[in-house]
Amino acid sequence: MKSKLLLVDDSALARRSLRTILESDGFEVVEAEDGMAALERYFLEKPDLVLLDLVMKGMYGLDVLTKLRQLDPSARVVVVTADVQDSSHQLVQEAGASGFINKPIDKHRVLEVIRGVLEESA
Amino acid sequence: MQLTATQQDALIELLNIGFGRAAAALSQLTGHRVMLEVPEVTIHPVDEVSEALERVIRTDVASVHQIFSGPVAGDALLILDQGGASMLKELLTDEPALPLSIDASAREVLTEVGNILLNACLGTFGNLLKVQVSFSVPHLSLETVGAILESLRIHREGLQYALVVHAGFKLRDAEVHGYLVIVLSVASLDRMLRAVEEWEHRNR
Repeated sequence: MKSKLLLVDDSALARRSLRTILESDGFEVVEAEDGMAALERYFLEKPDLVLLDLVMKGMYGLDVLTKLRQLDPSARVVVVTADVQDSSHQLVQEAGASGFINKPIDKHRVLEVIRGVLEESA
Repeated sequence: MQLTATQQDALIELLNIGFGRAAAALSQLTGHRVMLEVPEVTIHPVDEVSEALERVIRTDVASVHQIFSGPVAGDALLILDQGGASMLKELLTDEPALPLSIDASAREVLTEVGNILLNACLGTFGNLLKVQVSFSVPHLSLETVGAILESLRIHREGLQYALVVHAGFKLRDAEVHGYLVIVLSVASLDRMLRAVEEWEHRNR
């Protein structure tokens, strides 16, 4: 069965690029363009994994991550961000993220991290 | 305010590293080699920046603006001339560029590219200077440099300085001139220069 992934990013360009990579590798993809929509879609769609941007209009990605993990401690979240700071990496790890990927997106790196997290949680 | 020779050297080295990271990101995005020129750094009272930049960029520009906060807080702007902005759109979408005012796809591309480049550069500073910086959502403007900086001056109180980095680079054999402008309060500029000096000491 195809794994279902929820893409959360306020940039339509970032969502399109990721969707192309993920669908070509056989994943089912659903999207949300902000934090509130992400929380709603998470519980409607029950994805296997969430790919989450950090800097978004409205709710900041770190708050979405914290809320998701409070509501569902088994939620698997990989943060995908342009923020290259080590301290941000550490913050999202502490908040329970399963992975951290920097933009620009590298296709091989994204797929490697996603497969790794999905295999760990299987 | 003038930078000491040590501060100038340390800042240029820091900017070279930050721009190196941003250039690597741009090269990965466009699929083309990016040739960087050595960045030039100057510091101006914010009221005088428009005049300095308008001497070199006279047309409307595309500018991506992000507010950053933390121990060092301020406004970061990536400013590209229209030619550079159009080239980036064509490289990233394989579609011909239209005037930016009517090209929603180009505006979307530039906002995301600006976000990635500003984060690559300022995030590298954060890592090296051991300062955590948080970023706002990026915002794209299509105006003259003067209008963009005037809106910054109006929305921020207190005496401010702008660190202007002229970063020339070549992409697909064409020269693109981009400017990174970092506007800081006196307190933030002071904290940044102290962090730069500490970093320079650690690396001696």
